[in-house]
Amino acid sequence: MDHNWDFASVLANKTLLLIGLKNTLVLGSVCLALGLFFGLFVGAARFSGKSWLYYPATAFVELFRNTPVLVQIMWFFFAFPIIAPFKIDAFTAATLGLTLNTVAFSSEIYRAGLQSIHKGQWEAGKALGMSYWQQMRRVVLPQAVRRMLPAFMNRAVELFKMTSLASVIAYGELMYQAKVVSTISFNPIEMYTSVALIFFLVLFPATILVRRFEARDTFRR
Amino acid sequence: MTEVLRIEGLHKSFAELEVLKGIDLSVNKGETVVLLGASGSGKSTLLRCVNFMEIPTSGRIHLEGKAIGSARNGRVAYAERELTQLRSRVGMVFQHFNLFPHMTALENVMEGPRTVLKCDSSECRRRGEKYLDKVGLGWKADAYPSQLSGGQQQRIAIARALAMEPEIMLFDEATSALDPELVGEVLETMKELAEEGMTMLIVTHELGFAYTVADKVLFLSEGSILEQGTPAEVLTYPRQDATKNFLRGHNMFRLPEPQID
Ligand SMILES: Nc1ncnc2c1ncn2[C@@H]1O[C@H](COP(=O)(O)OP(=O)(O)OP(=O)(O)O)[C@@H](O)[C@H]1O
Ligand SMILES: [Mg+2]
Repeated sequence: MDHNWDFASVLANKTLLLIGLKNTLVLGSVCLALGLFFGLFVGAARFSGKSWLYYPATAFVELFRNTPVLVQIMWFFFAFPIIAPFKIDAFTAATLGLTLNTVAFSSEIYRAGLQSIHKGQWEAGKALGMSYWQQMRRVVLPQAVRRMLPAFMNRAVELFKMTSLASVIAYGELMYQAKVVSTISFNPIEMYTSVALIFFLVLFPATILVRRFEARDTFRR
Repeated sequence: MTEVLRIEGLHKSFAELEVLKGIDLSVNKGETVVLLGASGSGKSTLLRCVNFMEIPTSGRIHLEGKAIGSARNGRVAYAERELTQLRSRVGMVFQHFNLFPHMTALENVMEGPRTVLKCDSSECRRRGEKYLDKVGLGWKADAYPSQLSGGQQQRIAIARALAMEPEIMLFDEATSALDPELVGEVLETMKELAEEGMTMLIVTHELGFAYTVADKVLFLSEGSILEQGTPAEVLTYPRQDATKNFLRGHNMFRLPEPQID
């Protein structure tokens, strides 16, 4: 098949693409920050073993882990406004879907991280006379967070890729901008190639970083 | 002679299982008491009740003449603050060391004074260095636990407990997880502490150590103290069959050979 590759039309629309990239980064960062913050509480609720915390948190996590993100985003955009008393724009709907999804996944990382710390570590702190929160802060979290870091970074990469799903509800992130431009300038081949390349250029360094962290998972030796 | 620890009528059950069935025990200042007993007899549970890692089902524990907890309508209630405070006065050494892997040897030893006692940084450092030196590991101050041998790790764990300057030290099979060639250095450290007058309650299977270092040996069987006395009485002239059987199973005991008929 013959295709005359012509990236001039892509470059001509680079401002639109840059706006898209900016929106992608904004959406991804907001969802990441909110997701990691609330994820800690959901993860701690599941870790606590107190049934009145454990069951609601578990139900939430399972609901969001077992439905597609695309469906969640569409649901918040189309269905949620019907039961909620306010209008919802594309950014809010995408943020809700992606954030809640990130909360669900990151809470599992927190929980697994806390659980991976041997009971003897808690006991050693306790035997010195530490309170529960001192054990958590001085002994458990510093070790757990080091173990969680690679998983969080993997999750962040996943999240930035998932932001492209927001294009289905017309939020102007990179993918949506590309779709709009390509329908006007009839260059979908170059356009989507460029989008793939941009994602790659942003995310590849991040995954390299993840691998670095994974390699030094253990304590200095 | 002042009494550091007194245990009265201690019972401990886990659900249906009654593990401790009424323990009475007193440890005086500077005494080394060794607790022997078969696996599952309740030795660890007894130690863990002393620093309230486990809450006794009933009975009373006194530290330095003061009863822990407050009795109300026939039950003893324990406030969390009182328990954390008590634990800071009782040192515990675990079978598996449980050093903090993200801290250096010195940081491990300074952690209690720093976080629990809120010592200022020069006092933390002074204590850290003093107790590392005491266990002969001042030169390993900047090493992480993963860089140390098991014996060294256990000595650091002893220093970490000592840095709280506790009134009594508890040892739960402190040498059981060590390779045989590393057992000696840890026992030597414990022996020095005993000679310096530290009050200690020790669970061990090292009968030679018990024989030479203990002031008193107790034999625990199915949650009760079956026999107690000087090392010579309990180890060389055991009266109870359970004690005799237990000692027969311990070939490490060579010093001197037990007189069992
Ligand atoms: N947290 C717990 N929950 C339920 N049962 C327990 C618990 N801790 C100990 N037990 C039970 O109590 C009994 C005594 O245990 P303990 O650990 O005190 O024995 P031990 O004398 O220290 O034995 P070992 O020599 O094997 O260390 C055992 O039957 C054990 O299974
Ligand atoms: Mg035990």
